[in-house]
Amino acid sequence: MAGAKKSPTKKLFYEAVFKHSLEAIVIFDRQGFIVEVNPAAVKLFGIGKKKLVGKAIDDFLQFPSDWQQLPEQGEIKFKRFEDEIQTVEYSLVGDLLPHHNLLVLRDLSDVRLNAVAQLNLHHQRVELFSEVTLKIRQSLQLGEILETAVTEVQRILQADRVLIYQVFANGTGMPIEEAVLPQFEPILGVKFPEEVFPEDYRQLYRRGRVKAIADVHSPDAGLAECLIEFMDEWKVKAKLVVPILQNFKSIDTDENCPGGGSPSDRLWGLLIAHQCRKTRRWTDFEQELMQQLADQIGIALSQGELLENLEGVVAERTAELRQEISERTKAEAALRHSEEQLRLIANGLPVLIAYVDRHQHYRFNNQAYQTWLGLSPSEIYDRHLFEVHGTAEYEHICQYVATVLRGETVTYERDLLLQDGCVHSLSVTYIPHLQEENKVQGFFALTSDISDRKAIERMKDEFISVVSHELRTPLTSIHSSLKILATGRLGSLSSQGERMLKIADEQTERLVHLVNNVLDLQRIQSGKITMNKQACQAQELMVETVQAMKTLAQEQKIQLSVKASNFVVWADRDYILQTLTNLVSNAIKFSPPHSTVTLSATKQKPKSRLKQQSSSYITFAVRDRGQGIPQAELETIFERFQQVDSSDSRKKGGTGLGLAICRQIVEGHGGRIWTESCLERGSTFYFTLPELIQLKSDRHD
Amino acid sequence: MTNKNILLIDDEETIQEVVQVGIAIEAGWQVAIASSGREGINLAKDRQPDVILLDVMMPNMDGIDTLSQLKSNEKTNTIPVIFLTAKAQAEEKKQFQNLGVVDVITKPFNSMTLASQIAKILGWEL
Repeated sequence: MAGAKKSPTKKLFYEAVFKHSLEAIVIFDRQGFIVEVNPAAVKLFGIGKKKLVGKAIDDFLQFPSDWQQLPEQGEIKFKRFEDEIQTVEYSLVGDLLPHHNLLVLRDLSDVRLNAVAQLNLHHQRVELFSEVTLKIRQSLQLGEILETAVTEVQRILQADRVLIYQVFANGTGMPIEEAVLPQFEPILGVKFPEEVFPEDYRQLYRRGRVKAIADVHSPDAGLAECLIEFMDEWKVKAKLVVPILQNFKSIDTDENCPGGGSPSDRLWGLLIAHQCRKTRRWTDFEQELMQQLADQIGIALSQGELLENLEGVVAERTAELRQEISERTKAEAALRHSEEQLRLIANGLPVLIAYVDRHQHYRFNNQAYQTWLGLSPSEIYDRHLFEVHGTAEYEHICQYVATVLRGETVTYERDLLLQDGCVHSLSVTYIPHLQEENKVQGFFALTSDISDRKAIERMKDEFISVVSHELRTPLTSIHSSLKILATGRLGSLSSQGERMLKIADEQTERLVHLVNNVLDLQRIQSGKITMNKQACQAQELMVETVQAMKTLAQEQKIQLSVKASNFVVWADRDYILQTLTNLVSNAIKFSPPHSTVTLSATKQKPKSRLKQQSSSYITFAVRDRGQGIPQAELETIFERFQQVDSSDSRKKGGTGLGLAICRQIVEGHGGRIWTESCLERGSTFYFTLPELIQLKSDRHD
Repeated sequence: MTNKNILLIDDEETIQEVVQVGIAIEAGWQVAIASSGREGINLAKDRQPDVILLDVMMPNMDGIDTLSQLKSNEKTNTIPVIFLTAKAQAEEKKQFQNLGVVDVITKPFNSMTLASQIAKILGWEL
């Protein structure tokens, strides 16, 4: 100041500096009383100049009593008038003029506060994001995320109400989450009509608009009257609205939004902050914060919806699985029930039932198996056949096992010593268990005790045998006596006597025939006969039959004819002759006089019946021109004592056993016998025999 | 017609009678009768018949035993034997023939044609 006096211009300059300096300048005397202050100091201290001048400096600054010791520059605590203590920067020039000290003060608070505020804001932002992000990561529950969002925004912005408003497809909407100070009415769950948030607004938000309104009543806000009323109703003075856009590629692809958000963004809702106590100017930072948060919510929504979809799919699949499990459980229960029933039945049957796998190990057996063989279940289950039955028995049965494992059903009979110490006759049937492509998985073994049946059969055979044998001796005597009487050498009879003798003779012949047939049939049926098979010329068999029947045919005036053939069959000559003779004899008996009985042997496939037989069988046919056989009788005539007309046997002298014997013989050769007939036009009896395939060289010979 | 001596060994009296009468009427041959195997063997030794008709089924000593004794005795082992049997199926016939009988005649037979049957078997002329 002293220098200033020297030049008025300089003085003017210094005065201007003094007056306009932004830093506070205080001049105080050596006692510490303020002498002069500039306007910046007035502002800093917040008191008028008049009040300041004359006051002790340490009323305002925490000056130490020995302030002379203070460094020239530094920081010092400063107490604003009726206000809190703050720190100011100072520059001190002691004794600038005698007894006058210069103190320059710079208010640090703004600088500091700004920096702190910046830091705080940054911190808040980081905190909010980390919080929300963490929530989003920790929880996939949308409700939780939204709740966190509104709570945190409300806290950080110190807003009176923060809400999330969901926009529905029809344009209506509803706040679905809210954080509101207790003194204000909650708006949560209130449904808003479409007019409140019309399509053009929605369009703007869809493009990413952020609406910051410092004062809803201000014309700058550009709010419609009705909206202002609406705002008043909820006591909203300022508001900040940011859209929550959902990236919705998969669902809303057809929605076309030019500008703003991406075409596939959907306006899901709005994040709204309300200030109700007073108007509020929303800072850029606040807007940005809201916007970024809304983006986070958008991401969370997409994730949430994906999760929901996923959960939906999972729930659907779970329901399906439950259904499947329930059905399977039911099916299993039904299966168990059915298995139990089967087991009960299997165990209740007086039959051995077992299942053996293709490696010849027992997989199942019923109780009878254990009782009959005297083996415990563990001695049967999973054991090989030879372990259960012993090597000797196994050697016998392995041929049948081989057959069934080739896929053919096989039945055989065995006499076995069982647990009860008795020899039992058993009938064993192996049935192959075929799977796809006819692969044999194993087989069922059914064994029944046929001892009783066998015993009865034996008794029957014995009975028939004894009876027929015992009949033969008296028959010989009767037969011979009658023949002797018929010679007349023992005396002559009256004509009626002759007649009676003839009847007795004929009927004795018939009885002899019957006894022979009964014995024949019984012997063939009982399997006591072994067919002595050899190569036989079909032609020869037929010719020989015709020779044997010549006399009978001549008596009946029947022509016998043989169709030439060149086949060789594998058969027991005597038995086939018996069969042919029987058939021809029948044909002669039932043919009208002067008709022809024809014998033939062909390789043609017959019209019916013989599906199982291939062309390696020769079909013999004996055709007559008789009365024919009714359709219903075609099968039964092959049974014992089944003639079409019971009077036939008397008239024709048959025994009723001929065809039954024929059938036994033919079946004993692996062939079949049947008849085809047309009433009034005649019958044809067929039977088949296996053909003996000759080598070519033989045929040339 | 040459006269032939026939020996019938059969326990059944009616058979004995019809055979005797039938053969006598048909061929005029003599038929000696034995009612058991034992008796038959003795008669065969004594009379040296041209043929023995031997019943298979007899009590005590059956036809098969009788046959083996006849065959084991040099006095009788050359006499042809024909079995008379009620059991006469093809295979049994073969079995019997293996034992040394010339043939088997099955019951019931007709005694009025028995002589011609025997003649046919043995190649005799009636």
